[in-house]
Amino acid sequence: MLLLNKNTNEEQDKIMIKFDSVSKIYKGDFPALEDINLEIHEGEFVSVVGQSGSGKSTLLKLIYAEEMATSGEVYFNSNLLNNLSRRKLPYHRRNIGMIFQDFKLLPRKTVFENVAYALEVAGVPDEEIQENVQQILDIVSMGGKMKKYPHQLSGGEQQKVAIARALVHAPMVIIADEPTGNLDPVTSLEIVQLLMRINELGTTVVLASHDKDIVDRVNKRVLVLDNGKIVVDCAKGKYKAS
Amino acid sequence: MFLTIRRTFREAIQNFIRNGWLSIATVSILILSLYVLSVFFVVTSAANDIMKDVQGKVNISIYFKPDVSEQTITEIKADLENSSEVKSVEYISKEQALADFKRNNASEPIILQSLDEIGGNPLLASLVVKASDSTRYQAISDRISQASFIGEISRINYGKNKEIIDRLNGIVATIKKIGTTLGVLFVAISLLITFNAVRITIYTHKQEIEIMRLVGASNLFIRLPFIFEGFIYGVVGTVFSMLLLFLSVKFVSPYVSSAVPSSNLVAFYLGNFGALLGGQLILGTLLGVIGSLIAMRKYLKV
Repeated sequence: MLLLNKNTNEEQDKIMIKFDSVSKIYKGDFPALEDINLEIHEGEFVSVVGQSGSGKSTLLKLIYAEEMATSGEVYFNSNLLNNLSRRKLPYHRRNIGMIFQDFKLLPRKTVFENVAYALEVAGVPDEEIQENVQQILDIVSMGGKMKKYPHQLSGGEQQKVAIARALVHAPMVIIADEPTGNLDPVTSLEIVQLLMRINELGTTVVLASHDKDIVDRVNKRVLVLDNGKIVVDCAKGKYKAS
Repeated sequence: MFLTIRRTFREAIQNFIRNGWLSIATVSILILSLYVLSVFFVVTSAANDIMKDVQGKVNISIYFKPDVSEQTITEIKADLENSSEVKSVEYISKEQALADFKRNNASEPIILQSLDEIGGNPLLASLVVKASDSTRYQAISDRISQASFIGEISRINYGKNKEIIDRLNGIVATIKKIGTTLGVLFVAISLLITFNAVRITIYTHKQEIEIMRLVGASNLFIRLPFIFEGFIYGVVGTVFSMLLLFLSVKFVSPYVSSAVPSSNLVAFYLGNFGALLGGQLILGTLLGVIGSLIAMRKYLKV
């Protein structure tokens, strides 16, 4: 039986992600993030907004350890990420479900195989995979297209498959980097509603977006980034472009 | 662990098939290399066999003066047989020599007539010396020339044979040299080809590899399919190379047998099937895997 993360009230106080005076400076002295202090609790839905170049993607990359902080500490589930070894990286990634603007599906695998892959890398037995993948695809309404290849699907459908893949291994955190960037407004809404449902069931969600409507619709905590700094952090905000 | 191996191997087979023309091209070169190497192996082995066969017919003949007694010759024979370099010494008496001559020239009445006219037995007794190693004939010949019984000897017939022996040694040495050079060349080519194929695979699947990393695939999970892909190139290459070799041997065998009656290439192939298959399999898969590893080391930043 597939289990999404369920949490009690006590666990809601648990800090899932913590940034402690974190800065990220790329080569050539280009500061993408400056002195970020941030705590995200388990079960929260956080929208990270800001213009292009404000540091949204970099913030997310630090969470899934695609980049390392230049200074300060990044914690994930109380584990320090700063010196995460290449060997341990895959295990960290398996705690996270990732959704991207360009879907990032494996083009030579079917819908089923794409979602199953997330479980295969973790060594889950075949019978369990069969069951769980079927279930999760039904949840995102893609159960009928299991044998299709990504190029045979619409943008919205591909993103749903990506969400299914991000969910199937019951991660602690879902990270969505501009998930609706390539989608029309109606499909975008569908996707966001899906994310909200996932969050209601207990999974922490961090969403980066410059789509005003999406963020307003979610109507939860909003972090506004400007030139690499957090300028606004309000518990239940609306999108404010600076 | 076994699950990972099973899944990554299945992935490698999928990749091999889905790569289509790239796989065909890579395997073709591998087949060619293994084929050339095994052809040279067969040719060298066959040449060695022929050499041994001909060597058996090559010898040093020592002809004694007519007045030398049989006892003396027998003593000299025993003396020669003592040497480790000498495989055998055969005594052909004057009478035996005459009988052989008459038999060999039975179809030449003029020669037989001449013999009758000379009267008596003009032929000389001889010792036919065979060496255990064809390269030692010169040494044996030199020793005989300096032996104490040199006075009893009318002539030593080695010169003509020497030419044949030297020619043969030269041919086999050349075959071995060409074989080795070509062998090394083709091994290098095969390595390059497999390396290139895997490099291209990695390059075209760069994005996929990136996605796999994001989804949490471990280094091993990403690398193993490529290693197995190299392995599969080797296996498929070997199978087809053996097939090609068999067809070649079958085709060529009748021609070779007519030139060198003692040889039988098909029998050689079947007799050495295990060694040929095993050797090529080991070499083929090694080339495949090593080519793959080199490509990964250079291009797979996992």
